[in-house]
Amino acid sequence: MTDEAPESASVDGPPATVRQEPWEVFRQEKEGDPMTHGGSVMAPDAELAMHYARELYGRRQESSRLWVVRRADIGVLEDPDLLQPPLDRSFKKPGGYVMRDKLADARARTGATKKVASDR
Amino acid sequence: MTDPLALDPVLPPSERSRLAHNDEALSHGERYAAFEAHVTGGGKVEAGDWMPDEYRTGVLRFVEMHANSELMGVLPEREWILRAPTLRRKLALTAKVQDEVGHAQLLYRVAEDLGKPREHMLDDLLAGKTKFHNVFHYPTRTWGDVGIIAWLVDAAAIVAQQALRDSSYAPYARTMRKICWEESVHIMHGRDVVLTLVNGTPAQSELAQEALDRWWGPLMQMHGPRTPRDKDRDLHWRIKAKSSEELRQEFLSIYVPRLREIGLRIPDPDLRRDEATGVWSYAEPDWDELRTVVTNHGPMSQERLAFRRLNRDQSAWVRHAVLGVPIAA
Amino acid sequence: MTTTRLGLAAAFPPDTLHALEGLLGAMADDELVLGYWDSEWTGIAPMLEEDVAMSSLAQDEIGHARALYALLGELRDEDPDHLAYDRDVADLRHARLLDHPRTDWAFSIARRWLYDEADAVRLEALAGSAFSPLAELVGKIRREEVYHRLHATAWLRRLADADGEPRERLLAAWRTLLPDAATVFTPLDGEQRLVAAGVIAATNGELETRWRQDIGGTCRELGLAVPGPAADPMHGRTTHGEAVAWLWGEATMVRRLDPEATW
Repeated sequence: MTDEAPESASVDGPPATVRQEPWEVFRQEKEGDPMTHGGSVMAPDAELAMHYARELYGRRQESSRLWVVRRADIGVLEDPDLLQPPLDRSFKKPGGYVMRDKLADARARTGATKKVASDR
Repeated sequence: MTDPLALDPVLPPSERSRLAHNDEALSHGERYAAFEAHVTGGGKVEAGDWMPDEYRTGVLRFVEMHANSELMGVLPEREWILRAPTLRRKLALTAKVQDEVGHAQLLYRVAEDLGKPREHMLDDLLAGKTKFHNVFHYPTRTWGDVGIIAWLVDAAAIVAQQALRDSSYAPYARTMRKICWEESVHIMHGRDVVLTLVNGTPAQSELAQEALDRWWGPLMQMHGPRTPRDKDRDLHWRIKAKSSEELRQEFLSIYVPRLREIGLRIPDPDLRRDEATGVWSYAEPDWDELRTVVTNHGPMSQERLAFRRLNRDQSAWVRHAVLGVPIAA
Repeated sequence: MTTTRLGLAAAFPPDTLHALEGLLGAMADDELVLGYWDSEWTGIAPMLEEDVAMSSLAQDEIGHARALYALLGELRDEDPDHLAYDRDVADLRHARLLDHPRTDWAFSIARRWLYDEADAVRLEALAGSAFSPLAELVGKIRREEVYHRLHATAWLRRLADADGEPRERLLAAWRTLLPDAATVFTPLDGEQRLVAAGVIAATNGELETRWRQDIGGTCRELGLAVPGPAADPMHGRTTHGEAVAWLWGEATMVRRLDPEATW
């Protein structure tokens, strides 16, 4: 996505006959951790992609698990209308429940002066 | 009860929280202005975002030179892999050079995702159309060089790379974080080699000092000449965050004390630190030498490019067989 | 740990111990020389990702050599680096299969495959060794070798199945390597004593037969000749060529400046 058509062939991408594509590598640092994105490798097929993922993201014993996926197989969602829709959604988050004033009123009625230990 | 509409009313299309520069409904000028505001305000750019040509070209040139440097940087150290004097040193040096190849892979991937195929980048490197950093155009003469390079060249590089971890181009920034983590091991390896030499026999100590005498000039040139901040487009687009001089000062502040404390002499009688300001002054680096070297007229430039060309040609059949890369006519 | 290992070794009569040292030295030299040849690919392999892979394989081999020299060093009370490096090239005891230089990608892959498959048979015969430190080390090495054999086989298939230049180069490599392929199983002095003592489960002759059976299927499937007995089997570990002489000069160049120094 550029502001004008590329001038040279070098930004058109590799020739159609080149049989390699990017594979995304997800890694788990240690047992129980979430899988996080590490990076990508170029490979002609799943077998070599797995070898290369191990080399680039696991040769130092830094990962306990790897997922290797063709980039072309990954669906991407980045539409802000779906992910950041504009109407109020504060009722879905802790910040949407501000009770400071109501608590103050209730405590004033009961004469409680100290915070109860279980108050956060 | 809160009024859902009052809190955050539905906004017209141009004001929604979509990145404006990605909005195809806007004019080129509007998109450019939005992009510039986004980036100069600290916003990040991903591979699929709209970018002005100047930005895309600037990032690609920056990343490509970095990738080329990692690839060519392998060659000065590679010959010492065979010559390492202990099993552990051989393992450490092989692993270090392997990491540089790995860094080249990471960086060429970033550049590929901007649209330039790897084979084209290698073509341009070998044809002399794109550049690689000055330090990789010099010969390595002794085991002393191996230690000095691994310690100080990598240190100078990491000073630059740490400053790139917050680059506006997010794929590059993420790669820098991984690279910095890996480079920190190289510096320790290099420092260990140098320390072992200076603590050893007089002949070993001399290996380290003699290597430092030869490498200090190129090291001081490595971050480049001072350029005014307002003329530096890479700074403007936040591709990088620090100027050449800031990086050089940072390098000197950390590493001059570490060199001196182990008894190594720095071959610059003008090198001194202003106690009040903390600023280092030094003999002016030879910028003519830098220009000569990075335009591939350095002592080893042509030989190393030829070596790369030879190996690439000799292994072309493998890429052709496995990947379908056309063999050059 | 040294005392325990020496104590364990003391359970063997001197002749058996001598044969054990010979076995460890041969294995260590095999791994060392192969590791050196394959480390040459670092920085110049056909593809960047493959460059990183081959470098890891080479480092693993050097790592195995290092562990084997360390074990040998404990038996002989000598420093492992001294054992490895402070020798003339004529004193190296690697199999002649590993004497050849790296040559091209097809050659390196073919040689790795032939060696790794032979080494696998040897390691299996050591997995239950009566010399427990060796059994323990072999257990670890075998786990690392899983990856090596996957990689070698993957590439052997790719080259064998690709028509034209890749297969031709593979066949040319195969022709050069075949007379030396079985040298990994060159009989070692005193190996009968090692079998009798339970250090190794079979003689080299028996292992060579097993190796040929193991690889026969893949060779036939890929249209590659099954290796026969080694040419000049009695000198399978004692004749070395110019390539290794050059390599050894490089490998010892810095160390020879001062072998007594700490590097």
